Amino acid sequence: MLKRLPSMILGTALVAPQVIMAQDVPPAAAVCVSCHGQSGLGQPNVAPMLAGLNTDYLNEQIDLFLSGKRKDPVMTAMSAPLADPAVRKQALDYFSNLSAPSIKDLEYRGDRLRFDTAAETLAYQGDWSRNIPACTSCHGASGMGVGHIPRLAGQQEYYLAKQLQDWQQGLRTGDPINMMGHVAGELSASEIKGLASYFSSLSGEVKK
Amino acid sequence: MKMKQILPLLALGFASSLFSQAAFSADALPDRQQELPAVKKKADTDYLTPRSLDQVPDTEFGDMVRLGYSLFVNSQQMRGKYVGNDQNCVNCHMQAGIKANAAPLWAGFMAYPAYRKKNDKVNSYAERVQGCFTYSMNGKPPAYDSPEILALSAYSYWLAMSGLMDRHGLEGQPVPEISNAMLQSGGKDVNFPLPKEVADAFPLEERGKLKGRGYPKIANPKQEPSPERGLVVYNQYCSTCHSADGQGLKGSDGYAYIPPLWGAKAYNWGAGMHRINTAAYFIYENMPLGKSAQLTQQQAWDVAAYINSHERPQDPRYKGDLQKNRERYHNHQGYYGQKIGGKTLGEQAYPNGTVDHE
Repeated sequence: MLKRLPSMILGTALVAPQVIMAQDVPPAAAVCVSCHGQSGLGQPNVAPMLAGLNTDYLNEQIDLFLSGKRKDPVMTAMSAPLADPAVRKQALDYFSNLSAPSIKDLEYRGDRLRFDTAAETLAYQGDWSRNIPACTSCHGASGMGVGHIPRLAGQQEYYLAKQLQDWQQGLRTGDPINMMGHVAGELSASEIKGLASYFSSLSGEVKK
Repeated sequence: MKMKQILPLLALGFASSLFSQAAFSADALPDRQQELPAVKKKADTDYLTPRSLDQVPDTEFGDMVRLGYSLFVNSQQMRGKYVGNDQNCVNCHMQAGIKANAAPLWAGFMAYPAYRKKNDKVNSYAERVQGCFTYSMNGKPPAYDSPEILALSAYSYWLAMSGLMDRHGLEGQPVPEISNAMLQSGGKDVNFPLPKEVADAFPLEERGKLKGRGYPKIANPKQEPSPERGLVVYNQYCSTCHSADGQGLKGSDGYAYIPPLWGAKAYNWGAGMHRINTAAYFIYENMPLGKSAQLTQQQAWDVAAYINSHERPQDPRYKGDLQKNRERYHNHQGYYGQKIGGKTLGEQAYPNGTVDHE
């Protein structure tokens, strides 16, 4: 835990929407930035970080909002203009090209045998008595994101918790094998809280 | 000399019958059923349970175990040196080699030394692990007495012995440190040191039969496995993670997290997983990761056929004559040397042993 503390403190200070200088926001993204911020870093209890997220992942999420497989009243409405492929591309390019906070000291599975919290054990070892694989086996070292499997590191804490709850409650679907629906269904409320807290803490400085 | 072939079949047959009862009561059980104990036991009640990894001691020996664990779950740290492809050991041995019916290390460790038809000799455990590097990892194995082989053997031993000690009344007592020679040889060595309580309850002839070893056999398919039907299964269940082109997913750190299933970066034509039956058993029991979905047995056979109908790195035993190699080493269920979709598999195979050293 000691190793993590400095980055947690730094992370909290730096994951603020105002850090990055204003860029030219394309018209397609003008509405998005009112919540997700020009920097794309999101805001606590309002909107998730989009900066640097994988384009395929973002694209799939818009599809899911439009098809209703991901239920969120605000985002369903906000996604409507993005049904137009040209508009959508503009918005996705903008956010996926923004710099996300760096991740300090990437942690790989196997780096540690002992963990300070149940959440970290889940993150790096999973709990196979419940068929829960380690989060980082798919989401990557420190939850850095792997292809269209989204980054968790430095994501807004409230958002991570809400997504796991949404998977649990069937508000978020659309995964053909329901991987996250299964995993979230096995998690307790305190585990969700712990995981959201852990992964959201793993961010460092925003690279220019 | 046939012991090595018979023992796993017994273990697999038993596990398979358990599984069939749970999920596929309608299917005929394999005929190996008759060789099994008559007592029907509930699935996963009595698999060996290794201690949790936080109990690995803070000793020099514990450090070897820890290194073995790290190499096992993050094998890409050996990429270019001993590992020649995008595989990690944990891709085929779930839960870091701990999960029963996912070829757990504890069961493998206690089953060696044993005869292997693959190289026609008695293999020690260390040689068995070296084989993984040659075939599944498409690399070049670390030396027999290298830190890597010793660490992987020590990790396997710790899992096996901690589970056996807890099972046989030695809960909480430290796992004895043993010599490198015994770590390399494996738990079925006649001279293998076991605490008396364990030795009394676990005689030599039982050691290769730990329940949960390997992958559980499933019934032969009702229809011949079909790559065409397998493609449909693949696109429905597998392509989200392994990608439509079978190449898996990499992180921006360049590490492979989801392994490729064919092509230059996958397991080679000598790896056990290229066999359609082995892949079908593995997939049926262990995929998709975390078992959020369950394929039917026929789907597992078909998708195994689809995956293994693609070109991959050459069999390291290949000496220039494909059909000769096929006749010598491929008398099993696989497409090596066969014509699929107009191409003879193995003819356009990718290089093997793709590491930087000789």
